[in-house]
Amino acid sequence: MRSDGRNGGVGRTRNQFPVGMRVLAVDDDPVCLKVLETLLRRCQYHVTTTNQAVVALTMLRENRDLFDLVISDVHMPDMDGFKLLELVGLEMDLPVIMLSVNGETKTVMKGITHGACDYLLKPVRLEELRNIWQHVVRRKFSNRERANIDGLEECHRPSNADFDNVHSQITCGSPDQSGRPSKKRKEYHSEEEDEGDDSNGQENEDPSAPKKPRVVWSTELHRKFVAAVNQLGIDKAVPKRILELMNVEKLTRENVASHLQARHLPHFVQFIPALAILRTDMFSTKYRLYLKRLSHQASIVAALGGSDPFMHMGTFEGLQGYQAFTSSSGLSSFSPQGLLNRNNPTSFVLQGMAASRPIQIATGNSTISHSIGDANKYHLSLPGNSRQQGSVAQGLTASVGQVQLSQKWIHEETDDLSSILSVNGLANGMPGTLQNVTNSPLLQQDLVECRQAKVVIQPSSPTSSDRLEGTVGVSSSLMDSHASQQSRLPLSAFSTSALPIDGSFGNKSIAELGVKPSGGTNICASSDLRVARDNKVGASSFGSGILVSPETAPNQKYLSFGGGSNLRQNMDGGNPDRLLDSKLVWSSLPISQPPSLIGSHHLMSQRPNNGSLGARLIGQVTPSDSTAAPQTKVDMFIPGEMLTPKNASDLSFPKVQTEFSSSSCSFDGLLNSIIKVEKDDASFSDGLGCDFYSLGACI
Amino acid sequence: MAAAALREQLNTLLSSMFASGMVDEQFQQLQMLQDDGGTPGFVAEVVTLFCDDADRIISELAALLEQPAVDFDKVDAYVHQLKGSSASVGAQKVKFTCLQFRQLCQDKNRDGCIMALAVVRNEFYDLRNKFQTMLQLEQQIQAQQ
Repeated sequence: MRSDGRNGGVGRTRNQFPVGMRVLAVDDDPVCLKVLETLLRRCQYHVTTTNQAVVALTMLRENRDLFDLVISDVHMPDMDGFKLLELVGLEMDLPVIMLSVNGETKTVMKGITHGACDYLLKPVRLEELRNIWQHVVRRKFSNRERANIDGLEECHRPSNADFDNVHSQITCGSPDQSGRPSKKRKEYHSEEEDEGDDSNGQENEDPSAPKKPRVVWSTELHRKFVAAVNQLGIDKAVPKRILELMNVEKLTRENVASHLQARHLPHFVQFIPALAILRTDMFSTKYRLYLKRLSHQASIVAALGGSDPFMHMGTFEGLQGYQAFTSSSGLSSFSPQGLLNRNNPTSFVLQGMAASRPIQIATGNSTISHSIGDANKYHLSLPGNSRQQGSVAQGLTASVGQVQLSQKWIHEETDDLSSILSVNGLANGMPGTLQNVTNSPLLQQDLVECRQAKVVIQPSSPTSSDRLEGTVGVSSSLMDSHASQQSRLPLSAFSTSALPIDGSFGNKSIAELGVKPSGGTNICASSDLRVARDNKVGASSFGSGILVSPETAPNQKYLSFGGGSNLRQNMDGGNPDRLLDSKLVWSSLPISQPPSLIGSHHLMSQRPNNGSLGARLIGQVTPSDSTAAPQTKVDMFIPGEMLTPKNASDLSFPKVQTEFSSSSCSFDGLLNSIIKVEKDDASFSDGLGCDFYSLGACI
Repeated sequence: MAAAALREQLNTLLSSMFASGMVDEQFQQLQMLQDDGGTPGFVAEVVTLFCDDADRIISELAALLEQPAVDFDKVDAYVHQLKGSSASVGAQKVKFTCLQFRQLCQDKNRDGCIMALAVVRNEFYDLRNKFQTMLQLEQQIQAQQ
């Protein structure tokens, strides 16, 4: 013991970091608390103790930045440790370690699902405490790492921040630094991954990270970033200029570029308004023509061979002269993994929007990107099988002018793309309808045949009062697809809908598809996300659609997927409101379950006010299809922020992928995945995938 | 010299406590924390806290079990707490008896709980005696120095 202690101390000292880590220890038992305190001090942490959970909560609320980690007993008279855990997770985004004499699996699981980053049994040993600093580091770095790591990992921390002050956190269970794929990781991470912590000086934590120090995108930093982007305008929001506007010391262009990528979705969302405008203007004209052309060809679904396909897309678009379509780039990003290849990649082009973002789906495996394009023809399905791994991602992004961004993003995404939806956001609308979405299926390299489909998704189901403009049709499609997915009907449906380009997606399409209208929903564009607020919109109707509306909250930024469980709740609840405030933790999700899955996106809505979380799932996609409504997916969208590719990937994709992998859907992997998920109950991926798919489908 | 004898006596006591399973590694860890960490009086403080707390809990349990309608949830909560503190201090025997106690409590076996309480109390008293002896020896050693 001693040696350990000593060694530990020495080691820490070397890196400095663990030394002085601020730990809040909460235990109603004076004996345990005393011992715990002494042990923690031995580890050279800065320890604060209290024997009341309520006091602990008060301290945390008042001095949120004064603690790095919370260690709490499970059984306390004034407040259940799980409750404290939950509140801390929601409000502070601090890693919480639960402590109990009771090591029953059920109890431990409860701790994990409530967001505990670790669960220690009494008596706690010095060896264990000497390692707890890793949770702090992990959480802080999770985002970065995720991004770095293969791109698969992604977190939505930012999103949390974005969400609001609330700090809602969405945690993605981003993969650990190590990049281990293990489920455990996710579990643990889930809490940790909350990125909220990042804001607290992640720098300190760098030591742990093997990688070069990264910038922690704190809420504040992210806001500056968003402000800079907004100021510049979508078209001009290049890293260099953003950096200049942000005027933050030590921040590099690379940091901004990386963040930009990550934030694709968010950006889009933010941009949405602008995009919307662009859409209408630019896109509506040239683009549409273009789309039409494409549409003819659209039927072609080529499998994209490699990741490059995306690139092609991009070029393609470029050729077209529609740079505006960043979407294409976005698409590419999506498929980076080559997902697209198999499938047809579809790309959606939202009309005005650029949105295309990829969703990544698959972990790296195969991802399917659907393009959206015309639905009809899309038979993504084929690929689907192949996709098995499936992932789909899609992103729609609308971006006009943002090509650059998209490209960048794309790069980032390589790993995974999460889907990103970019929607146009019109602020207005809440859940509006997606306006036009054009899809353009990607053809292989050269072919670019896209159809345009503009999908307008109207959330009919949702009340629809609002329209989503924008974009996101995808999601809906996804949904549909999901629903139908198995059958693949959705596709057709989509296509149908798609065909009518301008038409609205509406439920009708869905219906056509065979999917039930209900399923149909969509999510749409970011703006639409708002829908979420409304909530239900999508949900009700589809069950699946998630919308994120960027507009509403530019702030909102990211939705994270992570918390599947929460999602479920929402789903279940049907209440949009609920939203997942809670953090979702991927990890937990993954861990537990399959069931939850939705996880990925949780949050979106955290705050109703803000608006929107995008994520709502719709629960069940198709009634038929998904039996389990819960499963349904949630879509995650992050309203404003979106998912960053990274995030997306982080989110869950990897795992999700697996789930997806089972894909059976013809649609692209997405469908497959989704389907799988549903089947499996893994909502997450599915949800995501679904959405995406649907989008694609729509397209 | 006296100090050495006292220290010897203390060591013997501690060894027997450990050998009999009255205390476990956790208790040793606490001693190491005290010796290595420059936190004199730490063990005495924890032991005192434990004794006071356990004594209180046992009294509460006795009162609860005397009620005509025993609130087993409360009993369970107390036993759980006692288990936690005994685990933290390394009072192994007390901890084990708490395990059995909890099981009886979950079975809502009142008589069993009363018996379990008696066992816990006995174990606790034995331990408390040892602890008190230990603390006295330590005080004497300190006084001599």
